[in-house]
Amino acid sequence: MLKQDVAQAVLAEALKTGGDFAEIFLEDRLNNGISMLSGKVQSVNSRRLHGAGVRVFSGLQGVYVYTNDTSREGLLACAKRAALAVKGEKFYTAGNLKWTDVPNIHFIQEMPDQVKNARKVAKMKEAQAVLKEEPEIVQGSIGYTDSVQRVWIANSDGLFTTDTRVYTRMNVSAIASNGAENQTGGVSPGGMQGFEIFNSKIDPEAMAKEAAQQARTMLHAPVCPAGIMPVVIDNGFGGVIFHEACGHSLEATSVAVGNSEFCGKLGQKVAADCVTAIDDGTIPNEWGSLNIDDEGTPTTKLVLIENGILKNYMIDKLNARRMNMPITGSGRRQGYMFAPTSRMRNTYIAAGNDDNDEIIATMGDGLYAKKMGGGSVEPTTGKFNFAVSEGYLVKDGKIVHPVRGASLIGRGSVILPKIDRVGKDMQMAQGMCGSISGSIPTNVGQPMIRVSSMTVGGR
Amino acid sequence: MTIDQFIQALLDEALKAGIEAAEIYLSSGDRFRAMCVKGEITNYTVNATRGLSLRGLYQGKMGYAATEAFDEAAVSQLVEAVKESASLTEDEDVQEIYRGDREYPKADNYNPALDQVDEARKLALIQDIEKKALALDDRIAALNYNMISTSSGETRIVNSYGLNLKHRDNMAVCYVSATAKESGRVSTGSGFKVTRNFDELDADAIAREAVEEALFMLKAAPVPSGTYRAIIDAKCMPDMLGAFDGVFSAESAQKGLSLLAGKEGEMIASEAVTLMDDPLLPGGLGSQPFDAEGVATRTKAVIEKGKLTTLLHNLKTARKAGVKTTGNAAKSGYAGAVNVSPSNFFLAPGKKTLAELMQDMGDGLVITEVSGLHAGANAISGDFSLIAQGYTVKNGKKDQPVEQITVAGNFYQLLKNIRAVGSDLTFPGSAIGSPSVDVGEISVAGK
Repeated sequence: MLKQDVAQAVLAEALKTGGDFAEIFLEDRLNNGISMLSGKVQSVNSRRLHGAGVRVFSGLQGVYVYTNDTSREGLLACAKRAALAVKGEKFYTAGNLKWTDVPNIHFIQEMPDQVKNARKVAKMKEAQAVLKEEPEIVQGSIGYTDSVQRVWIANSDGLFTTDTRVYTRMNVSAIASNGAENQTGGVSPGGMQGFEIFNSKIDPEAMAKEAAQQARTMLHAPVCPAGIMPVVIDNGFGGVIFHEACGHSLEATSVAVGNSEFCGKLGQKVAADCVTAIDDGTIPNEWGSLNIDDEGTPTTKLVLIENGILKNYMIDKLNARRMNMPITGSGRRQGYMFAPTSRMRNTYIAAGNDDNDEIIATMGDGLYAKKMGGGSVEPTTGKFNFAVSEGYLVKDGKIVHPVRGASLIGRGSVILPKIDRVGKDMQMAQGMCGSISGSIPTNVGQPMIRVSSMTVGGR
Repeated sequence: MTIDQFIQALLDEALKAGIEAAEIYLSSGDRFRAMCVKGEITNYTVNATRGLSLRGLYQGKMGYAATEAFDEAAVSQLVEAVKESASLTEDEDVQEIYRGDREYPKADNYNPALDQVDEARKLALIQDIEKKALALDDRIAALNYNMISTSSGETRIVNSYGLNLKHRDNMAVCYVSATAKESGRVSTGSGFKVTRNFDELDADAIAREAVEEALFMLKAAPVPSGTYRAIIDAKCMPDMLGAFDGVFSAESAQKGLSLLAGKEGEMIASEAVTLMDDPLLPGGLGSQPFDAEGVATRTKAVIEKGKLTTLLHNLKTARKAGVKTTGNAAKSGYAGAVNVSPSNFFLAPGKKTLAELMQDMGDGLVITEVSGLHAGANAISGDFSLIAQGYTVKNGKKDQPVEQITVAGNFYQLLKNIRAVGSDLTFPGSAIGSPSVDVGEISVAGK
């Protein structure tokens, strides 16, 4: 843990060369992972991550130094090293640290680090038992992970606080094979929850059935044809389209330095009227939620786009200076090995008014993307791509047959105005989002949506 | 406690607790990283870190645990965690801790001079690159990424049989992406260099590479959907190879995750293809004298003129297959379990230059970049469908820039379709390399 007198001394040391803001972030984290293949536990791996980082600002310059040595001497050396890179003209002093209690909005019933691994293995075996009985499934791979992250944050504005983040997640992946070809299906639900997640969000048997069904469906599916066509994207992980096509480009990481196609567009129309998009860190026990962000700022619910109009960017402390705009509680990082920057939390397109059946019935010929894989984006140009893990060809408004190997590409600013239907049933799904401050848990989400035309990659 | 005392205490405690053989894997290092935006240094990050993992055979099973805290409490925590981990493991494959080889080769992966380069020189380099890039052309609006990073580290393996190995490794990476703007259009281009010799980081060359690509791509457009003759160039092909390198792992094959299982000795690629795994490649980023199990490494062909000669093995997979390990045990970070991974992994170069390959192709596409490999490439099925860019080739000559297309196919099929491998072997930023490759025909979605 971080002691107050040590933190105070470290902040003072960090500001000695004229920095105008200093912060210390200390993390102690226990990660636990179990992997199972064909019903046999392959490995059980526990890892204790421990370290701290000192960050100093001087105007728009940010310096970050981190270490595993969290002794008083180690942290002071870290602060000294950070200060060495700063040459401020005025001298600032750190405010007296004042303890701030963080209200906890994510109630945990059963801390995963207190649960015996044997109970976790038993849950994995429930999924395996189902997979074993599924026709055409030749291999099942099941993973379980939990993590308890304790952080302490102090800064020269006088903030001194702590928070605990608890994550539990399971994934089931099934491989269907006919000997010559393999296809996969998978699901991976999780939450900012303890082991009690198995009473609600994680149902191992249902996961196994879903993964097997998807793999089998894809094994019998022909390859998706290539071309430009209307695309319907279903709810849940389908929200990755907004995450990639727009979300990353609304992070201050891109916007503050002019690297986003949404720069200077606040108050302007950037999407169709039916599109309202939200980034919300406050939803209890959700995968991308927080109590405070990694700069110690309470998390928020932020409207990004309202009825097609761009309302907000996601902004961290350093970029707030560049943009001359307030912070939004969006400063996040994988851990002490990264300086924080603006990142998404639970990001979704809000429910609309359209009826799912009508959305497909009126689409003509196109692609129905029921399940999405991951994707990526280049924020400067807005060019994105993602994979369709379970797709269906639609002819004249009717679903004809499954197709495999489809991908969707486009540019965010071009796609958003082309969303012409938004369904009613919003659902979220869990993902790991990788960017400049590391890999962090985020939710994507949306109801069923339709894009009037998109480039579909296939063969 | 010094780190050596910690290691000794850990191995002693493990044996005392009934662990039959124990091994530590310690990785430590320093890293420096900074970016430059509009003349200002940003994202200045420095660190010195270390992490240790303990693995041990307990009741015949291998258990793992890892830590970044090195206090006395950590010793007993690690030992207990290894025992619990081993107790739950049901993997029936026989695992072992290695007693060591008589001799280890020399691997060229450390240049002491690089560790002596001062920070001012590193910062000056990226400031210089930005200035030079902006001065090259009025249409260059900014550098959207401009980073220098240097790292230097050491890996140690110490076990209860008395094996005690270490090697050092360092490198410098410079990566730049330029944004070009012209009449409402935006494009980007990248330049980079990975080296152990700081003098090779040439600001002019890196800036020029990024700027030229960004300017060329300003006029890029999709081509019509269809089937095209295609070359994947030497900057792009290593990314493709990297996305599918797992299929050459005996571990994947034994787990039913690779369609190459049992195909040793068969033709799995065209005769133009020879695929090397060379841990002793001079200056290679994946060069190493021993693998993650402490086994001496060696050079081998994985595919020789189209024929699969061997999969990559560690001790466990080799024992199961009844062969000798190929020295390809690896860990994803210090804390990972031992798996299998290539070292310096590359398609052996052929005789023709890229220009000659283009000449032979006549009309078609050269693919210079694919993205979204983590989602759009499926190592289990071999299928890929990826956003791509590049240029058209007309009568054997470079013609128009192309973007916003996807290329789709199957990796196993692609290996068989390869018509020719070029002479321009490149390692664009990792230990995986390739020359430009004529891949026959490829499906494209465009306009």
